[in-house]
Amino acid sequence: MANETFRNIRLGAFVIIGTVFLIAALYLIGNKQNLFGNTFRISAKFYNVGGLMAGNNVRFAGIDVGTVERVEIVNDSSVNVVMVIEKDIQSFIKKNAIASVGTDGLMGNRLININSARNHAESVEEGDELQTLRPIEQDEMVRTLNETNENMKAITSNLRTITDRINSKNTMWSLLMDTVIADNVKAAIVSVKIASNSSAVLTGNLKSISEDIRNGKGSLGALITDTTLSGKIRQIIVKLDGVSDTAAFITGDFSRISKRLEQGQGSVGVLLKDTSFIHHLNTSINNINKGTIILNEDLEALRHSWPFKKYFKKKKK
Amino acid sequence: MIFIILSNDSIHASVFNFKSSLRIIAMVVSADIWKSFLSETGDIARFTGRFFTEFPRPRYEFGEFLRQAFYIGYKSLPLVAITAFIMGLVITIQSRPTLVEFGAEAWLPKMVSISLIREIAPVITALICAGKIGSGIGAELGSMKVTEQIDAMEVSGTNPYKYLVVTRVMATTLTIPILAVLADTVSLYGGFLGANIRGVVSWDLFWNQVFDTLVFGDVLPSILKTFFFGFAIGIIGCYKGYNSNKGTEGVGRSANSAVVISSLLVFVIDLIAVQITDLLQLN
Repeated sequence: MANETFRNIRLGAFVIIGTVFLIAALYLIGNKQNLFGNTFRISAKFYNVGGLMAGNNVRFAGIDVGTVERVEIVNDSSVNVVMVIEKDIQSFIKKNAIASVGTDGLMGNRLININSARNHAESVEEGDELQTLRPIEQDEMVRTLNETNENMKAITSNLRTITDRINSKNTMWSLLMDTVIADNVKAAIVSVKIASNSSAVLTGNLKSISEDIRNGKGSLGALITDTTLSGKIRQIIVKLDGVSDTAAFITGDFSRISKRLEQGQGSVGVLLKDTSFIHHLNTSINNINKGTIILNEDLEALRHSWPFKKYFKKKKK
Repeated sequence: MIFIILSNDSIHASVFNFKSSLRIIAMVVSADIWKSFLSETGDIARFTGRFFTEFPRPRYEFGEFLRQAFYIGYKSLPLVAITAFIMGLVITIQSRPTLVEFGAEAWLPKMVSISLIREIAPVITALICAGKIGSGIGAELGSMKVTEQIDAMEVSGTNPYKYLVVTRVMATTLTIPILAVLADTVSLYGGFLGANIRGVVSWDLFWNQVFDTLVFGDVLPSILKTFFFGFAIGIIGCYKGYNSNKGTEGVGRSANSAVVISSLLVFVIDLIAVQITDLLQLN
């Protein structure tokens, strides 16, 4: 009897554990589908739900907050989707929130995404209808992809023509394979880099110079900015003007003098122009030279004569 | 030339005779098979019909039912649990490389849970029970039949069908679903361990994904069909044992055919259940 009781206890435990697991599983599944707990219903009208069906998830800000209760056709361009949402979330979903049909991952189930709008609004209430976004249709995507493919086809065809042309002539390849050109290009780039650096320095210098000039630094700056200096310069220019007038006058005088000299007028003119006078003058100078030589000899003879010999000896001492 | 013609005729004649004899043998054999098949089906249907007539009537053998439920359900739990655990582990390990190839490793808990709950755990439980319980019932009732214990019960005024068959069929019908639920749980635990052998899936994430994926349409039909599995295993085991003959040889044959037929019926019921579930769009 005791054995039978123990057997029945074990059987009871077996049945209870199995039933508890089943009920727990059903409760968890039901809870996921919002069958238990406080919920409220809102709806949204779509042009196309793209395969959405009852039981699909509803996400608010990326979190599962409810499920689709039913999907019903309203008219030829409108499908009404009724959603069951957890009551706790009601305060977070505003009346201006936007519902859209999305997909869970690339290949996942369809779902409803509810996103908040930027503007402030009141929380949704039971039976409210949300604004919707038109879902991206796969057919439309395929059409766009088809157009892209056509473009790609044209581009690749052009590329093929270009590469064929490049391959048909060795010029381009030799150009591409020539290391000397590459080195030259590299050197040219280095030179350009250096030049650009220099020009940058030069520009900097020019900039500082122009700033100095603007600030009145240096001679040029003073020249441009100093008003007293400009007065002085003006005076100098006036004086220079006077000097130039005088010079012009002097030049006129010189011109007249040179003209008279040219015509042999005056003493100097005669001296420059009269050839006979020059001849006489040369002859006179020669005679003077000869007379001087003879006089020197006479004086030398006089030095050695006895009345003056004593005098010169004394002078020599 | 004449010889050749004659020989050709003889060849044609022999081929004709061979074909016709084959056809006749096939007809005879198939007729026998069909006859025995239909006969057995009719017997099983009658045996099942008797269950439904005997089951509601008192006197209820509740003590015997509990004893059978203990031996059939509780005693089968370790075997079912180990098998389910290994199945969960193996299915997960085997599925992982394919999912990794598609970059869908995160879907492992979802895929494994659907496979285990919908199909693998209930069917494996039923097959294990068909092997263990079906053969046990077949052999037990068969030995009682060949030793004339069943006849003795009838003579003593006890309804052997009610005492032996109804209790066992009820026990299998009610305990195999419990075993299936426990097998589901244990196999999912095996799946969790399998997912963590190569990858890393947290306890919370695994169970979240499992219950996020499963819907009532996955769980309820799979549990519901295990009632039919249990009923089929019980009724076939009892039928084969109850109608056993030819001495001890018949006992072995009863046990064997109980396992074979009940296993086959498990698959047939599973096929029908899947078709009905699909038609009703329950999942």
